[in-house]
Amino acid sequence: MKDQNFVNHIRPRFIPDGVLTILYTFCLGGLSFLAFVILGVTGFLLMFHYQPGDSTGFGSILTIASVIPYGSVIRNLHYWAGQLMVVTVNLHMLRVVWTHSYKSPKQLNWLIGVALLILILVLDFTGYLLIGSQESGAAATVAVNILGLIPGMGKGLAQIMFGEPSALSGSTLVVYVWHCVGLPIFALFLQLYHFWRIRRDGGVRPL
Amino acid sequence: MPKQIEWTRRAVLRLGWFGIIAASTLSIDPLVKYLTSKEDQLQSPLVVYNKPLDKNSDWQSAATARVWVKRDSRGAMALVASCTHLGCEVTYHPNRKEWLCPCHGSVYDVEGRPLSGPAPKALQRAAVEIKPDGSLMINTAQQVEMDYRA
Repeated sequence: MKDQNFVNHIRPRFIPDGVLTILYTFCLGGLSFLAFVILGVTGFLLMFHYQPGDSTGFGSILTIASVIPYGSVIRNLHYWAGQLMVVTVNLHMLRVVWTHSYKSPKQLNWLIGVALLILILVLDFTGYLLIGSQESGAAATVAVNILGLIPGMGKGLAQIMFGEPSALSGSTLVVYVWHCVGLPIFALFLQLYHFWRIRRDGGVRPL
Repeated sequence: MPKQIEWTRRAVLRLGWFGIIAASTLSIDPLVKYLTSKEDQLQSPLVVYNKPLDKNSDWQSAATARVWVKRDSRGAMALVASCTHLGCEVTYHPNRKEWLCPCHGSVYDVEGRPLSGPAPKALQRAAVEIKPDGSLMINTAQQVEMDYRA
């Protein structure tokens, strides 16, 4: 069991010559994880001043960005790290296809990666809703209506995912909880499993 | 001849650690300022009481804040209903003509002077301004004496 331990797989046991070139992976997975860590830290800080809700969301964002000391730095770091992560995650996927890294024995890790891509996109979308602008209200309305088209469970699913956003603001307590607690924790553990599988599947590059 | 720095892996990693420690140190002050900011929860010390207040009325609660008002033959007065012991909200009981604190049992007389319990001093009085329309503007930031009247 000892060599199945996660910690023992953070560093590879040996590194062959020639795999250290940056041109193989372009560090895109690592950049995505770096962006995820920045998002976690800045998101945690934003929670101290952000007030979710139909009438308070947008106003508290404006207050953070204009009045709170260093609030604009933290808010912009969070925003741009989110944009960066969506870009690097997609490029990472492109690289995996390019180098045929989805093939056996790494099929499972490819599927985990697809799940992570969807999670990151949902996180990006819920973050957009939490801005609480009129655009976010329109986006929330569209999302609720699309989910509602699923026969039988659609309405309930939309309620669980978004609560009841108004047409003028997508910021609800339900979206807030998913964005700040539920989805990030799920994404974090899936990423750790993703990294562990790299080593288990024979990856020899350091992370 | 100055010694040439050799950029070994170890030297680069050491520089990295130094950078991380420097960045962390520099971010302490911004973080403290960010986390202690109260700019988004500004609280005005001003309280408005706009219901009619009879002459020689008993204490009336302003409802929106911990402020009670009263008017006697000399004018209007306002009292901040926070216990002087540890700050719990005190309530006026008209039948007993006393202020009672629910937390540690302090009792004040009708003027807010402590009668029993741990309360060390009288309830705070606040400055009152009578507006032309008859409503009262109470400034809880401005403390006044017990015989103050507006």
